[in-house]
Amino acid sequence: MKKKVLALFLATTMVAGMAACGSSSSDTAATTGNDSAAASEEAPADDAASSDSASTGDAWDAWSDIDTSEHVVINYMTTGDKPSGELLATTEAALAELNDILTEKINAELQIYYISWTDYLSNYNLTLAQMDGSVDLVGTASDWLDAWPNAKNGAFLELSEEMLQTYAPKTWASVSPEHWELCKYDGEIYLMPEDNYAQWTNHGYIYRLDWAKAAGLADGVQSWEDMTTYFKYVKETYPDIIPWDSDGTQYATMAGGWIASHSDYVSIDGINAAAMWGGTRDDLYTVYSPYVTDTDSLVEFAKMMKEWDEIGVWQTDVLNNTASTNRDDYRVGKVAAEQHHTQTWTDLVSHTSQNTIYQDDPEAESGFFYFGQETGNVTALNITHGAMAVSAGSAKPERALMVYDMIRNDEQCYRLLCYGQEGVSWEMTDDGMRATPEGYNADTQNVNGVTNFWWGRNDDLEVRAADRDWDKIDALYAEYDGIKIDYPYGQFILNNDSIQSYIANINEVTTNYLKQIAFGKYSGTAEEIVAEFQQALKDAGIDTVTEEIQRQVDEVYGAE
Amino acid sequence: MKKRKSDLTFFQKVKRHRTLLLMCTPAVLFFFAFNYVPLPGIYVAFVKFNYRKGIFGSKFVGLDNFEFLMSSGKLLELTRNTILYNLAFIILGNLLAVFVAILLNEMRSKWFKKVSQTIMFLPYFISQVLVGILVFNLLNYDTGFINSILTSMGMERWQPYSDPSVWPVLMVIIYLWQQTGYQSVVYFAAIMGIDGEMMEAAKVDGANGFQRIRYIILPSLKPTVIILLLFALGGIVKGNFGLFYNIVGTNPILYGTTDIIETYVYRATMTDFNFSTASAVGLYQSVIGFIIVMTVNYIVKKIEPDYSLF
Amino acid sequence: MAKKVDKDMMESGAKVRLGTSDKVIRGFGYVFMTIYAVCCIIPFLIIIGTSFTSEATIRAEGVQIIPKDFTLKAYDMVTKSGGIWWSYLLTIVLTVVGTLVGLAIISMTGYALQRRDFHFRNAISFYVYFTSLFSAGLAPYYLVMVQWYHLKDNYLAVLMPLLMTPWLIILMKNFVKAIPHEITESGKIDGAGDMKIFTALILPMLKPALATIGLFLALGYWNEWYQSSLFLSSKVDIKPLQYTLYEIVNKTDALKNSVAGQFINLADIPQESVKMANAVLATGPIVLLYPFVQKYFISGITVGAVKG
Repeated sequence: MKKKVLALFLATTMVAGMAACGSSSSDTAATTGNDSAAASEEAPADDAASSDSASTGDAWDAWSDIDTSEHVVINYMTTGDKPSGELLATTEAALAELNDILTEKINAELQIYYISWTDYLSNYNLTLAQMDGSVDLVGTASDWLDAWPNAKNGAFLELSEEMLQTYAPKTWASVSPEHWELCKYDGEIYLMPEDNYAQWTNHGYIYRLDWAKAAGLADGVQSWEDMTTYFKYVKETYPDIIPWDSDGTQYATMAGGWIASHSDYVSIDGINAAAMWGGTRDDLYTVYSPYVTDTDSLVEFAKMMKEWDEIGVWQTDVLNNTASTNRDDYRVGKVAAEQHHTQTWTDLVSHTSQNTIYQDDPEAESGFFYFGQETGNVTALNITHGAMAVSAGSAKPERALMVYDMIRNDEQCYRLLCYGQEGVSWEMTDDGMRATPEGYNADTQNVNGVTNFWWGRNDDLEVRAADRDWDKIDALYAEYDGIKIDYPYGQFILNNDSIQSYIANINEVTTNYLKQIAFGKYSGTAEEIVAEFQQALKDAGIDTVTEEIQRQVDEVYGAE
Repeated sequence: MKKRKSDLTFFQKVKRHRTLLLMCTPAVLFFFAFNYVPLPGIYVAFVKFNYRKGIFGSKFVGLDNFEFLMSSGKLLELTRNTILYNLAFIILGNLLAVFVAILLNEMRSKWFKKVSQTIMFLPYFISQVLVGILVFNLLNYDTGFINSILTSMGMERWQPYSDPSVWPVLMVIIYLWQQTGYQSVVYFAAIMGIDGEMMEAAKVDGANGFQRIRYIILPSLKPTVIILLLFALGGIVKGNFGLFYNIVGTNPILYGTTDIIETYVYRATMTDFNFSTASAVGLYQSVIGFIIVMTVNYIVKKIEPDYSLF
Repeated sequence: MAKKVDKDMMESGAKVRLGTSDKVIRGFGYVFMTIYAVCCIIPFLIIIGTSFTSEATIRAEGVQIIPKDFTLKAYDMVTKSGGIWWSYLLTIVLTVVGTLVGLAIISMTGYALQRRDFHFRNAISFYVYFTSLFSAGLAPYYLVMVQWYHLKDNYLAVLMPLLMTPWLIILMKNFVKAIPHEITESGKIDGAGDMKIFTALILPMLKPALATIGLFLALGYWNEWYQSSLFLSSKVDIKPLQYTLYEIVNKTDALKNSVAGQFINLADIPQESVKMANAVLATGPIVLLYPFVQKYFISGITVGAVKG
């Protein structure tokens, strides 16, 4: 096996090296690494940028040396509910077309293994624990899908550079060495990052801009206080509307949003759900937890949320609400706000067919109040927010890599998987946008909402959706670009062996108190509940954890 | 000549009882496959579980996995909650069941008996998922049934989902609501088994209704009570996860009074998925349950050998 | 038996003059039992009522027993999607097969384990009982089921583990205990083998026991959702009823799927009434089954309970 890989590696690099002659440098070009590897990087990257599928003389030509005589089925695991009925048929048809291409090129086909959203995290982990080859490619994420814990406990295959160069040459080339560094744990690469896809997943409130203006906020919501004004106005003016029909799970985002808006805090992702540790923008590597230090700010937060609760922003039993339909309610004007990230705003702000508020009320507009807006505290996405891993239980990891390389870098494959069949689920407009065909029914044709390929989207192959309001979106992206910092802790992966039990207890304490604080459901004063929360954090050992994280951060980034 | 049983060798015994053994075989295989085969895997509680190395190839870490329960200091509190709830369920459940059974026995209308029994049994038939839905529909603030009634009577609304103090009572009521129908039928049946003549004699002797209950019915229920109690005791440290989780969900305001070992562990392992920790807790519960059952069974065996489980 | 006793007592009760205390107890009994029965049934009425109520009314006035504006919309939506009928079929098949197989095994075992002359009965009894005390926990169980038995995405993963419990076997043992040992002896004298004795002589006498334990088993299968959540992934299109209900209650996407193909927007679905309609459909049949087995069931429990 090893020998074969090595031989193929040599062959590949030679071919790729020749193909590289005369190519222009790409934006992701390598700066380090051995010569042949660097050479092999340039050609495909350039090729991918020209988004020309099945072009001749590219990195995939070397695949002809690989033995693909056995037809294999590659199972790709993603979070998402399996569609039913006609939508399933549409999806299957798109996959069938995709599989024709894959079969012809690499004698493989792709199947989707859906992890239903009900109890998705435990089902995801249980399925990985199976290790019986039932999944090959695994969509994962360092911040919300336990990518590193799973890498540590042996669920993912180590991806050697040789393997990647041979079986996923285009992916290998398109990801810069710096980015590959961020995908390593203990010196081994485990993830293939979605690092060429512009998206902002910083959270905030999506609200009715026209109503905010009517509420006297001429420039829309600019602060949390404005948000209060807005909610009050909505409640008074439209008594039938629940201002924000939140579910009980949003507490951590709300508290994190408040902190981002009132400090320079930058959180380290992937330690716990509430991202309770980090540094500040000007002192990134001195670790602290704002939940311990920013007492006054937390008290303010608790007070304001109590006020929101009293206004009636959410339903009284919000903490027992696990299945809110707030987002869809927003589309039709049953609620007046939604809390989610910028990506979601790009949908809700646009005059799509689903968003009937804009048809019902020509005045309607949606604004976005993003967390950190007041202080200009915005951090760009960690590249491992979406990534693909290969299951260590896979019987055919090499072929899985080839399939991944195709669906990530081949225009036709990519679009079939992401958007579905052209002419059925989407069509290209004259100005190169993605529109819905005549007679399109989202219910049965929206493949984009099914396959959830969030682990290798590629801006070189993306087609912008025609129904999005790109002027507004680009304006906001530009605003972000002006203030953002890059995610500074990409190389830091916490080894939590010694502090795992503390973190588990801190999670428990945090969930308990933060839920009460964030929905104003505490009894007693704001000062009391915050003090109680902080004491409980101390008792759970938060100082020990902070110290340990600091120690490990120092190891990675050097003590000051 | 027939040999005495005890003189038979093991294989002769097997041969003699081969049909009976065969009759037991499916059950024996079943428990072997689904309970005994996974059992050595309990070892997972003592390792840092690595998927690739498997349970027995993973690194041994001793009692590290128990640390999270110990270090939180919650273990005692959770164990106490779990045991207290179970005690309340067992004791009140049996009391109410006996009470209802006695009342049923005093009823004379056949029709009434049958209908009330059927209705009482209804709650026993539904899944805990549905129990959770029922309770929420009854109690929630905005659209709950009780609050609709309170409002229509001009009274203030009630907020049970924000008030932890009412939940021990509510949980017990919900449990009783679901289980009493079944248990009371068990006791009712036992009462029916009481010798009719004894009752008649008591009546002729002028014993009134209360005396008959006190001196005849209650004593005759003793064996049934003991058997049911013994069986319940084995699970006294095992909480009713389905019931608590479906009703309380992840509402932290109520945790203070409704958190049991299972729900706590579920939450802790859900965010940081950890087989080993969960297994450690399971082992802890099994060991305590085992000790309790063995002790009680030993005591029962000493006092009234007939009632012991084994 | 039990019935006869009851009847005797009723007649004699009429003859003997009622004392004051009897009247008090009886009067209190009727009042208490009436209230108790009403408490038992109200939540069911709420669910049924709500399933027929429009979303707007629920939001404005809360759930209700008698719908202010009666609508069949929820049922219309749920049944139109068709998925629920397949779930029904699956659940019925699982329930019937599981109950029959379980009953066969449990009754054989119960009979053998209470035969006084059966040398291995104590050892096997303990072997069975022990499993109710110690279990391996989720991880080893899951891995054994999936890696060794390859039961992932296989309905057997739902069917098999629910076939029997130690408690049901002990219950059956007690039922059999109530059958006089002489019956077995007489069979032996007639030269019948153990299996013959069991099927020809014992089994017919176990009808109440079979009804009782069968009902427990059927309830277990009908209300099953946990094994399904562990072992049935998205590869399996048809899930048992209660798991479908669990998903619908807990996940809006599942709610949407339950009425798939008719609306893309969740806001257009009468959520509460759809949930309730699902609940009614998922629970109805097993509740309706009860009155038919009640006769056996109660007399079955009678036998089981007396001897303990």
